[in-house]
Amino acid sequence: MRSVVLALGGTIAGLTLLLSFKSHAAAPPGGGADAAGMSASRATPASRSSPGRARSSAPAAPAARASAAPRTVTGSVDATTYGPMQIQLTLAGQKITKVTVLQRTDSGAESDQIDSFAIPRLISETLAAQNGGIDAVSGATYTSAGYITSLQSALDQARA
Amino acid sequence: MTQLASAPPRQRLRHVEHVMGTVVSVDIPAAAARALPGVLSWLHWVDATFSPYRDDSEVSRFGRGELPLAQCAPELAEVLGECAVIRDQSHGYFTTTPGGRFDPSGLVKGWAIERAARMLSAAGFADHCVNGGGDIQCSGEPEAGRPWRVGITDPRCPGELAAVVSGRDFAVATSGTAERGAHIFNPHTGRAATGLAGVTVVGPRLTAADAYATAAMAMGDAAREWAEHLDGYEAFATTTDGDTWQTSRFRARLA
Repeated sequence: MRSVVLALGGTIAGLTLLLSFKSHAAAPPGGGADAAGMSASRATPASRSSPGRARSSAPAAPAARASAAPRTVTGSVDATTYGPMQIQLTLAGQKITKVTVLQRTDSGAESDQIDSFAIPRLISETLAAQNGGIDAVSGATYTSAGYITSLQSALDQARA
Repeated sequence: MTQLASAPPRQRLRHVEHVMGTVVSVDIPAAAARALPGVLSWLHWVDATFSPYRDDSEVSRFGRGELPLAQCAPELAEVLGECAVIRDQSHGYFTTTPGGRFDPSGLVKGWAIERAARMLSAAGFADHCVNGGGDIQCSGEPEAGRPWRVGITDPRCPGELAAVVSGRDFAVATSGTAERGAHIFNPHTGRAATGLAGVTVVGPRLTAADAYATAAMAMGDAAREWAEHLDGYEAFATTTDGDTWQTSRFRARLA
């Protein structure tokens, strides 16, 4: 059972991303922060609330700078029909500018961007939803595994 | 374990919980974090009690005739009452025995999510949105002055949106074949339902919206006329031919 929590500020300057994982979430591999269970480009309260899980890829920056500088957020590893996957978002302010899907190898040592038919669609959907300002998505019931390729999953990771 | 940071006013929180065979996303004010454990406990209790996939759940034992209703949780009687109403309203297309054995799942998830949303309101947090695997109950506003906006996926292309509805206190339920194949049966023929690729029902309560969507899928083409007469609920559907239809007042729900 995984648990991901995001707290999003009401203003751009106040935007804070907070993700925490249950203790059995996949341990970060030896690679960089982006391949870890999650990462955020700005030190947030998450760093304190989930030590060893939430990792900062950059030191704390003033809020004003953080609102302009692109940053990445990587979600939890989920088992899918395409294998273990993570979604990585690049954000500028509150806007998602890029969605990358990482597929972990069996060893967990490397993460690579993959090219599956589902992925371009996911990316275009996510960007479209950003523009549409969607809060939630209704659709035929997804399973836990199907959730990761759902638009709702992307919205949960970075609120439109 | 869920850990929360102290948050300034207006901050919102999203919690994602894997439960009931799907994922429940809860969008609440950060201050509502203290109400979250109760909501999550409720969802897991529903899962354990109502799952037809667990041999030892009360629903399974009740279905096998091993446990009389009087010895089950009172919520089961409540669910059965809701099911009976929808069954009658849908001319039997909604049934608690869709595959031949007792399985009220076509209503339970919506009912559980609606109840979870009501728990948040009762705790004083009226601005929330709970999405249980694509079935949604919204209340209040995500931010001052703005209604909730809910996208409806296109069943022919599940990544894209077919429509966007908005409102302040409403539910959206979708049933379809996109995610799990033809799993909805026409109880009058015993065969997989045909005619619709997906149907979305919008209205005040998720319990009814979820069950209406299930019933409409089972009806197929006949659902259009039936849904037109639902009191307070509107429908939007995509047929297996790729056409779409909507009830006459659905337009008022569009964002």
